[in-house]
Amino acid sequence: MKRTMLFALACAIGLAQAQAADTAAGKSLYASNCAQCHGPTAKGMASFPALAGKDADYLQSRLETYRAGEKVGANSSLMIPNARNLSDDDIANLSAFLSNNAQ
Amino acid sequence: MSHKSSLRSLSVAAASAVLVSLPLALQAKAPEVSQDVYLDGLESPWDLAFMPDGTMFFTEKCKGLSVQLPDGTVNNLLGMSGSEGYAMTTDDLFCSGQAGMNGVTLDPDFADNHTIYVYSAYRVGDNPASNRVLRLKVGGDLATVSDRTDIVKDIPYKQAPTDHPFGDSGAHNGGRIRFSPDDGFLYVTTGDNHNSSLPQFGDNLGAKVLRIDGNGDAAPGNADATPEGFDPRIFTYGHRNVQGIAFHPESHQPIVTEHGPWHSDEVNALVPGGNSGWDPRPNMAGRGDCPDDYCGYQPNQNEGMDPEERSAYMPMTDLETYPDAMKPLWNNNGYSQGISSAAFLDGEQWGDWNGRLVVSFMGIGFGGTPVGQRINVIDLGADGPTVQDITEMPVPAGSARFRGLVMGPDGALYVTVDEGQVHRFTVE
Repeated sequence: MKRTMLFALACAIGLAQAQAADTAAGKSLYASNCAQCHGPTAKGMASFPALAGKDADYLQSRLETYRAGEKVGANSSLMIPNARNLSDDDIANLSAFLSNNAQ
Repeated sequence: MSHKSSLRSLSVAAASAVLVSLPLALQAKAPEVSQDVYLDGLESPWDLAFMPDGTMFFTEKCKGLSVQLPDGTVNNLLGMSGSEGYAMTTDDLFCSGQAGMNGVTLDPDFADNHTIYVYSAYRVGDNPASNRVLRLKVGGDLATVSDRTDIVKDIPYKQAPTDHPFGDSGAHNGGRIRFSPDDGFLYVTTGDNHNSSLPQFGDNLGAKVLRIDGNGDAAPGNADATPEGFDPRIFTYGHRNVQGIAFHPESHQPIVTEHGPWHSDEVNALVPGGNSGWDPRPNMAGRGDCPDDYCGYQPNQNEGMDPEERSAYMPMTDLETYPDAMKPLWNNNGYSQGISSAAFLDGEQWGDWNGRLVVSFMGIGFGGTPVGQRINVIDLGADGPTVQDITEMPVPAGSARFRGLVMGPDGALYVTVDEGQVHRFTVE
């Protein structure tokens, strides 16, 4: 019982953290690190895909995959070094900003 | 980096250092440049072509060919597969990755024959795709095109993804087309498709610059300068991915820009039959096997490393294997930053920059290389030609993925940017 309550508390804290993702920080990070390839409104350019409006879980998963150095798609060699130094908060903030249409 | 190009880079750096220390009065006077967004709301605009009255034809990579009239009206002329709102749509033109509708240019006698040319990816059904050069007639009302003739049908296209950076289908697709004001022929730039069997072999049109007439026939003289057995439409070979071509205002020599492989974007001056020295084949020049038989990003295609080390292993211009190869005029100080297009500034309003070469960069930040989105202004002496000076175009409205450069009839420089705009650079 005690263990269940602790687990529920941990989940609640995790949820609160996710909800508290700082979209302003994500916007700032996007502008400085991502916009030159994915475009100022994240609608994609050239061979770089659109990100605006994508599901936050999907974006977070992809960034974590790149951060781990795993290849996904033809532009992995550009994404892996870009994601390497992102913190968990950075990824959460970026994902939240982009999933909110990046406006 | 070759010894010679190292020296050249050092010379440029030294010249720049001297320039900085010169009194202002002795330096070339840079004009006051303004930058504004001339046209917005486009989708990957790629290239432009102007009539003397300012009428501007433009291509969008995945949509097609359109024209903006001097009063601002835009007429959509030729749509690609999936496009809507065009006077005519054709399903055999498509886009994928870097390929799609790329270059556009007007016939030198456009005023009389209303003829326009575009470079586009082409596919019917499940057949292998290619790149084609299309010739079209523009209607008198500038609202339609007709009389399509595909004057080149067999420019290679990358059919399937490979294990390389930017390795999707449609990669290294070339695509700029321009008429020489000197010989009147159409020059067509192509790419290597991540295929090592294209650049050094004359049985195909990939990784080449073609020189043809308005019917797509080879310019007489091409075959006199190229190796035995080459396709007679080939003017130069051994390129990697040429996206820019312009003609020197005095010598009329064709000057091209070539994307480098994680190092060494190049500006090259073409000579008939010239070899640009790119040969990414495995198991030669000291290399072993490479991913999908293409060594273009070796020895380490996914991690950053010193560009000079890269160049020693996989040179952009291999002067050891090909000692007669065309030596680059400039190699972007050893960096690869997505060099795209080329043009020459034209008009007294540009002051000391009149006649200078401008080259654009889309920007690639990889392995410690600065992203480098910019337009360089290069003083290219006709003699040689040689690089006399390099500086940067001011970008008061901000940088972008600068894709295509074209001089407008009003003396302004017009630039397509991947962000979906056409920028205009004017001087006071």
